[in-house]
Amino acid sequence: MISAVENIQPANAPASARGGAIQIEDVVKVYDPEGAAVMAVDHCSLDIKAGEICMIVGPSGCGKTTLLNAIAGFHDITSGSIHMDGELLCGPGKPMAEPGSDRIVVFQNGALFPWRTNLENVIFGPVMQGTMTKAQAIDKARGMMADAGLNDVEYNYPGEISSGVRRRVEIVRALMNDPKVLLFDEPYRALDSLTKSVMHEALLEIYYRNPVTIFFITHDLEEALFVGHRVVIMTTRPCKPKKILDVDIPHPRDYGVLTSKRFRELMEETVDAVHEEALKAFDRGEKEG
Amino acid sequence: MSNVKDFNDFAEEARLNEELVTLLKESMPFHVVSERLLDRIAAIAQRASYDPGEVIYHGGDPSDEIFIVASGRIEHALVDGVATGTPMRTMERGDVFGWAALLKDRPGRLAKTTALTASEVLRIDAQKLVEVLDTEPTTADTVMSRFATMITKDFAVPGERAEVVPPRKRAGNARSGGGGGNDGGGGAMSGAALFMFRFSQWLRSPRPYLMFIGFSILLGFWFFAVEIWKLPRFREMPGLTEVWREWLAEDPIYGLSVHVPEYYTHIWVSIRRVLIAFALATGLGVPLGLFLGWSTKFKEYVFPVFETLRPIPVLAWVPLAILMFTGLETPVIFLTFLASFYATALNTMLGVQSIDDSYSRAAYCLGASHRQVFRHIVIPGAMPFIFTGLQISIGVAWFSLVAAEMVSGQYGLGYVINTSYTMVRYPTIVIGMITLGIIGYVTSAMVRLLGDHLMQWRVRELALGEQS
Repeated sequence: MISAVENIQPANAPASARGGAIQIEDVVKVYDPEGAAVMAVDHCSLDIKAGEICMIVGPSGCGKTTLLNAIAGFHDITSGSIHMDGELLCGPGKPMAEPGSDRIVVFQNGALFPWRTNLENVIFGPVMQGTMTKAQAIDKARGMMADAGLNDVEYNYPGEISSGVRRRVEIVRALMNDPKVLLFDEPYRALDSLTKSVMHEALLEIYYRNPVTIFFITHDLEEALFVGHRVVIMTTRPCKPKKILDVDIPHPRDYGVLTSKRFRELMEETVDAVHEEALKAFDRGEKEG
Repeated sequence: MSNVKDFNDFAEEARLNEELVTLLKESMPFHVVSERLLDRIAAIAQRASYDPGEVIYHGGDPSDEIFIVASGRIEHALVDGVATGTPMRTMERGDVFGWAALLKDRPGRLAKTTALTASEVLRIDAQKLVEVLDTEPTTADTVMSRFATMITKDFAVPGERAEVVPPRKRAGNARSGGGGGNDGGGGAMSGAALFMFRFSQWLRSPRPYLMFIGFSILLGFWFFAVEIWKLPRFREMPGLTEVWREWLAEDPIYGLSVHVPEYYTHIWVSIRRVLIAFALATGLGVPLGLFLGWSTKFKEYVFPVFETLRPIPVLAWVPLAILMFTGLETPVIFLTFLASFYATALNTMLGVQSIDDSYSRAAYCLGASHRQVFRHIVIPGAMPFIFTGLQISIGVAWFSLVAAEMVSGQYGLGYVINTSYTMVRYPTIVIGMITLGIIGYVTSAMVRLLGDHLMQWRVRELALGEQS
């Protein structure tokens, strides 16, 4: 009941009017810091539909984050191309995408600015871009924070609230800008499993209201299957899709899904593939992160 | 007569209903609910009273109702294995418990709740509540989200708990928001109240008494070494009582005491020099440090030069300072400025470099320009380090001031100390030293207070950290 808000109708096959389809074609990323080339991403291709929740699962240090950084515009790519809604983000002649408010990252350790109150954090985007006056932004932010059950923490600083609530403020801060894509970099990694379970439902609830494309990196298979429309299992470094799985459990979902038969079946189907890559990464002694 | 009675009954019922609605309004998940809907929720709510010590439910009991405290105090103890946050809390009016009834699969009770005092509680059947809420889907959505927030808060890790209610709303619902616990903490208070709270905490801690003992040992040693034991190396030193008498004398033997206007001229001249030098060092050092940290290219030009000049001691600059600057005042200020400037610039630079990359990345993601990132991320992000730098800076300013005043200058505490030595006015030396110590402490405390004032976010974070 907390999760499934039955009156809102998200389709399982998402259709987003805002766009946000991402085409990753043949992307290669080679790091060469000390003359010894390390291939982080190896000819990786992936099509993400507009409004889809695409979960990227792979062992620690496999290069998932490299892919996310390329989409966000934090890092260049060596070859290949990434398009969004047919427009080139990065590719031949333009190795690095421009960061922009159409693709917003929710960071692994959280990146709410600790010197701004939660409300000041949420209005940051529109006020900096000049698309809204401060008063307009505060109005909109109050509404969105109330929708997410966050208006009690408006005047708190991020350092005063629990990390679970902090992540939700960060998601609301991103949504204030009407992004086309949200890029999640293992945002729930540091949370305990009880908080996590609440966070997943809260995330879905927010998604049902704002069906944007979600590119979500995790190494938690259960999280991936519970939240995603599609789960992409990556090989360990160099990173490329090993197995792509359609999660045919209808949305809206709630925590009851976890005990359903279909969920168990999907789990069994994928757990070997994930375990195999994790073992490879472990044997090579990959650094976590 | 029966008509009157009916009317009384009706009035009584209306009053009770109104009371229930008021109570519901005070509890966090229902803040946003319309009066009309609250009326309907009040209709399905039942009042129940509990005696002190009476258990409302045990862990593992079936969950079908949620509870709102109307009066009294109720202890809420999570069963073993659930506790990730504060395992034990006290609930008061407006607090909600028993939310397990709202979870989809209705797990058993996760806590044991016991009335601590005679308490009155509202019991609302969860099934019925959901049915009522479902008639207004948008409100229902918000109420459920608020329950989810409350649950997340309940399971928050200690020290990360968000107990503080925004100041705008404090009067109305100071006890709501997940309830009980230690909301007396840092964030909810401000200004004088916070100061008084800290001060009384300080008095209750052993710190003031240890401090007193520390000072007593120092002064006691001085007194005994010079005046009682007359130790060989202390024979020439002015004793505690001698200095004390001289300092407070209306007609001091050596010419300087709290009753002599000249004493304050010296203090004022020194303070003015330090303030000018400190202001210059901050005005130039902070921007320089910010650019050094922000632009790699700028750093490559400037930093090697900076690092070569920095180790040169202030005293080595004295001859050049006297040659470069005319008059008596400017060389002293220049020398005082120098070391402060290095400390400020270096710490500011480290501050910029310490800022987590993801803050500026997030800002770029949110559409900020380079200039905006500098203004809104780099400057506030470096602030804690800048103020560490300023603390060091004000300290070394006093240090260099005295060195400069001893070499050149006509007034000032350094000058007092130096001339008193040559003129064999020994107690005056010690008066100058103690005055320097006190003023130095006060200025550095003022810098710290200014920092706390500008960085409320940090003060609150640290206050929460201390509590847990």
